[in-house]
Amino acid sequence: MQLRIEAVTKQYATVTAVNQVSFQIQSGEIFALLGPNGAGKSSIIRMLVGMTKPDAGSISVCYQDQISNHVPRRLLGYLPEDRGLYGDKSVEKNLLFLAQLHGLGKAEALSRMEHWLEVFELTERRHDDLKQLSKGNQQKVQLIAAVLHQPALVILDEPFSGLDPINQEKVVDFLKQLKQNGMTVILSAHQMAMVEKLADRMVLMAKGEVVLAGTLAEIRQQAQPEVQIQLSSKMPLPIDWLRSLDAVTAVDLQQPEQAVLTLQRDAEVGSVLQQLLGRIEPEQIAMQKPDLHQLYLNAMSRHQAQLTQEAAA
Amino acid sequence: MISRQSLIVARWEFLRFFKWKQQLISYLLMLAVMGGVFAWVYLTDESRQLYRIAVPGQVTVQNTAQFEFQRPSIDLSQQLQQLRDHQTWHAVLAYQDDRWVLHTGASSKWLPQLEQVLQNYFQLQRAGDFGLTDTQLSELQQPELIERSYLDDDFKGEETPEKMIAFAVLILLLIGLSTAFGQILMSITGEKQQRVTEQLYAIVTPQQWMDGKVLGHSFSALKAMLTTTLVMLVFFVVVSLIAGDGLDLSWLNWWVILWLIPFALAGLLLCACFMGAIAASIDDPNTSGKGVVMMVTWLPLLFTYLVIDSPSGWAMTLLSWLPVSSFAAMPVRMSMVEVPWWQLSLSLALLVGTVYYMRRLGGRIFLRGMQMYGKEPSWGDIMRWALSRKAD
Repeated sequence: MQLRIEAVTKQYATVTAVNQVSFQIQSGEIFALLGPNGAGKSSIIRMLVGMTKPDAGSISVCYQDQISNHVPRRLLGYLPEDRGLYGDKSVEKNLLFLAQLHGLGKAEALSRMEHWLEVFELTERRHDDLKQLSKGNQQKVQLIAAVLHQPALVILDEPFSGLDPINQEKVVDFLKQLKQNGMTVILSAHQMAMVEKLADRMVLMAKGEVVLAGTLAEIRQQAQPEVQIQLSSKMPLPIDWLRSLDAVTAVDLQQPEQAVLTLQRDAEVGSVLQQLLGRIEPEQIAMQKPDLHQLYLNAMSRHQAQLTQEAAA
Repeated sequence: MISRQSLIVARWEFLRFFKWKQQLISYLLMLAVMGGVFAWVYLTDESRQLYRIAVPGQVTVQNTAQFEFQRPSIDLSQQLQQLRDHQTWHAVLAYQDDRWVLHTGASSKWLPQLEQVLQNYFQLQRAGDFGLTDTQLSELQQPELIERSYLDDDFKGEETPEKMIAFAVLILLLIGLSTAFGQILMSITGEKQQRVTEQLYAIVTPQQWMDGKVLGHSFSALKAMLTTTLVMLVFFVVVSLIAGDGLDLSWLNWWVILWLIPFALAGLLLCACFMGAIAASIDDPNTSGKGVVMMVTWLPLLFTYLVIDSPSGWAMTLLSWLPVSSFAAMPVRMSMVEVPWWQLSLSLALLVGTVYYMRRLGGRIFLRGMQMYGKEPSWGDIMRWALSRKAD
């Protein structure tokens, strides 16, 4: 399955929820949509599911030589952002109902349900009414409902929200298992640490637009092209000398013995390191890699600054 | 064509509100209440008792099955003392101060019957004073009978079992519509509040979902009608057997019942489509005023009831042809007058066609209504949705 989103725009009344967004999703990958509230993630997901249609641009879903403008229902497993099931019915009845709607026979649905209930440690609760379960457990039931029919594509809108750290890790394992089973997974999330562990590729969105896109490495490259070196020594650092180096564009002195050096984009890291070792006896010297959370914040602040600049112009 | 998914939804909706244990208990309670009422009426029936009445010596009134008249030799004060002491007498008749006085402990249900017996006796006495015979008096008292002659050969007559069946049809339809009204409102607004909508939209089309709901709740309403009929019949049989009248079901018009089922089912489907569309546009049933509009579906029953005494009149004929009211009016009309089979068939076909159209109309409103949270669409929005072509 391959999904191609091209220059998609969606407006609600006077608000542009999605503006000229383009990206592609390959078969079998875990793809993450990242962004703050109102970034347009759920609007894109609703268009992929076919609940709404783009005002401009196109969505094409290619599966076994067939092309559609949204994901066909039979291929889709979906966890909506606005989620809920029948609280007055048992876990088992809820899951069986949805599985049968997906076309599964009762015996097959029961067998798959038992497997997933076991994975999420919910076997004991299968006969309890859904409303008797905690929010986190209800969410796990809904995750099971999304994959019980083994769809080719699973779309999960905020799968980590409302879960404690232990259950968040369980969901990470669950998503890895889906990938191993050959499913393509699209998820939206705020939890960068989780996404960092999981996603093959991702887009970072803000105010309906794509800010960054690609693999984690590509996003690092785009978001923070300058190399940073974390440096610490037993002696106070020669700050003026550090600033005088040609390759160094900025020195962030965190303590007299500790600083972060930002190098020029085209700087030869090896030669800078040699210069440093010639003058300083370092206690620690390391290339600094910002995590996704930091990249995300950097990208967002840059995007905001750009918008302000455009508005001022 | 109804899809497999719609049938699964229909089954789910039907079973959601079908809790057989509670249903059985409620029917047993209903039978127990009816039995209790019947037993109470039977036990408090004072007409089955024999009452002893003391009358003056000159009153020669004949005993009846209910009243035994005696002329005691003791004086009135002693008779009244016995009455006070609840001995011997239930009532004492005396002529005092130029008028007849009936002494009794307190007001009772049998007193008017006693007064009627005494009035008849005194009238006979007065007639005798005028020289009239019993037969002449009887002739005088008999009102002139004016018999109605109906030129409409198809009319089955007033106060017949057919009219009772017509009333029963209306009551049963009211039960069916009330059941559907409550369940559809609860089911749809509940799903919106529980946020099930998006999950289901990703699996079935809105039309499939609505078809399933409409089918499930219509069958649920039909089930309520059939079980109520069954409970009534059981009660009727039990009462007949207790009263020793024997079991006589000859008044049941199977032809009407046979036609009632498809008309009722189609009518319920029609009303359920309308109710489903309106319910989908309700955000919060506690604050929305739109729920009342769902009661529009009860109007055909009211209009039919208002013209039930003119089953051959233009109003009933019109109602029995209009697809929005024929489900109520045609079974009522056919239970009171003969209706040719082709009229029944044509009226049913029109109704079924309207159900199909209403299903599409309802589906379009359902599609958008179910996706609106937090605010309700205006009537203008609903009309625009209904007239749009988008259904999936």
